[in-house]
Amino acid sequence: MPKDNVSVFDILGPVMIGPSSSHTAGVARIAFLARRMFGAKPDRAIVRFYGSFSTTWKGHGSDKAAIAGLLGISPEDEALSRGAALLAEADARGEGFPIQLVGEAGLHPSWHPNTVVFELESAGRTLRIRAASVGGGSIRIEEIDGYRVNLSGELDALLVHHHDEIGVIAIVSHILAANRINIAATSSHRKEKGDEAMLVVETDGAIPPSVLEQIQSLPPVYAVVRVPALGI
Amino acid sequence: MKFRFLSFDELAEIVESEPIDAESFALKREAFISGKTEAGIEAELDRRIAVTRKALIRGLGEPQRSRSGLTDGAAVKLAAFPSPLVRDGLFARALRYSLAINEVNACGGKVVSFPTAGSSGIVPGSIWAWWDSRASRASRTPSADPDASDVPAALDPPYDPLLRGAFLNASLAGILIAQGATLAGSEGGCQAECGAAGAMAAAALGYLQGLPLRGRFDAAALSLKNSLGLVCDPVAGLVEVPCVKRNAFVAANALVAVELAMAGIRSAVPFDEVVSAMKSIGDSLPSSLRESAEGGLAMTPTGLACKRRLEES
Repeated sequence: MPKDNVSVFDILGPVMIGPSSSHTAGVARIAFLARRMFGAKPDRAIVRFYGSFSTTWKGHGSDKAAIAGLLGISPEDEALSRGAALLAEADARGEGFPIQLVGEAGLHPSWHPNTVVFELESAGRTLRIRAASVGGGSIRIEEIDGYRVNLSGELDALLVHHHDEIGVIAIVSHILAANRINIAATSSHRKEKGDEAMLVVETDGAIPPSVLEQIQSLPPVYAVVRVPALGI
Repeated sequence: MKFRFLSFDELAEIVESEPIDAESFALKREAFISGKTEAGIEAELDRRIAVTRKALIRGLGEPQRSRSGLTDGAAVKLAAFPSPLVRDGLFARALRYSLAINEVNACGGKVVSFPTAGSSGIVPGSIWAWWDSRASRASRTPSADPDASDVPAALDPPYDPLLRGAFLNASLAGILIAQGATLAGSEGGCQAECGAAGAMAAAALGYLQGLPLRGRFDAAALSLKNSLGLVCDPVAGLVEVPCVKRNAFVAANALVAVELAMAGIRSAVPFDEVVSAMKSIGDSLPSSLRESAEGGLAMTPTGLACKRRLEES
């Protein structure tokens, strides 16, 4: 199927820090999103580079991009190219945390050749994201905490981790509609029938905290994670 | 208004039947897709154009040297040279401007991926060269390229609609190539990155020179045809060799294409068919010549020595 909705800013963009749109900008955007999804400062993070990243991550500054993004530095900020020095400064301010960078030898046959995995951890909480840098700085989040997803970071998204039972999708849709939030796309993913499931909802526009609380308070819902749009 | 188009023919049909300028159409389509106002789109467009101007100034302001040593101030070197062969001011400017912006990218500076980082000098380099050449013509500067070693002046938004139009026309060419083929070197080789950028620059320069829409895309077709088959074989896997210097060569390609189109020389194969040809050529390229750094220049004795040196450092 030919694409028919490519926008001017897909072509004229992103604004980025060189040298590589896929290996620098893409990684910076994935790391930045990972940190925004995790929210608070993690105790530690591991970044695993797969495929073409595993051999060229140093030359392209993928490591610097990952560090900057995990520290919450915008993918457009020239400070990004300072990499490890940024982490040292963050440590001095008490905002740093250990970041381990690993080039991984194997690549799962179904994974994109430019794949990176982020593992963030703090007391009682972990987040594992597998994402691909698919060219020109565009990214695709393919897996979150074991659930297969497909997110570009271009839209606001909501991940609803819930007990797999009848009606959850309808109730969540109803809450969003009642708050006049337009749904751009939804997808549902489950590990086993009748067990846990993940509902992914992409929306036009941000989802206010009050709406998140409403969804969070539904009996079948275990957790709600907001994935804010990159906005750049 | 209909905003969906899959080919240049469809795009031309929409803008000619409305009728509307291609650049106004691009603005309205962008507002439609994003749900933002046209003023908001223009502001974002200006913000991105401003990044290219700053990169240009940085690249000519001081020699850009990369960590690998493969990028070593070529734009400043070229600017200091009296240009014995390329005597035209616009042409010489386009070469050093395209080099300058792409050297900034290679050195980890701030650029706009347009359409990619490795090809990011070609379109803005060509457009700014035209713009600054026009400015110096207006001031009646006597010699062909008197200020070669001068650093271009800062130029902040809001920008002239003509300048925005150039970036929008280039973007339309990029959209058509992205929709009909690819802009990723890992999928289509360098023809999809620098080659596409050449077609985009030709569309922009054609617009600035007053060519009608079909003429601009004739120029784009001519430029793209001359880049078909370009492989992506970067030394040590870095976005430097041959990428940086190729930005200057492909800017020259775009200028020649516009000159031909202005003289009424048509592309024998229309733009849409050239894009299809680019896709099929990309599909038949071995992966060793699609950004994997496992073929071509990357596998030469010099390329391999460079890779080893960087791995040891």
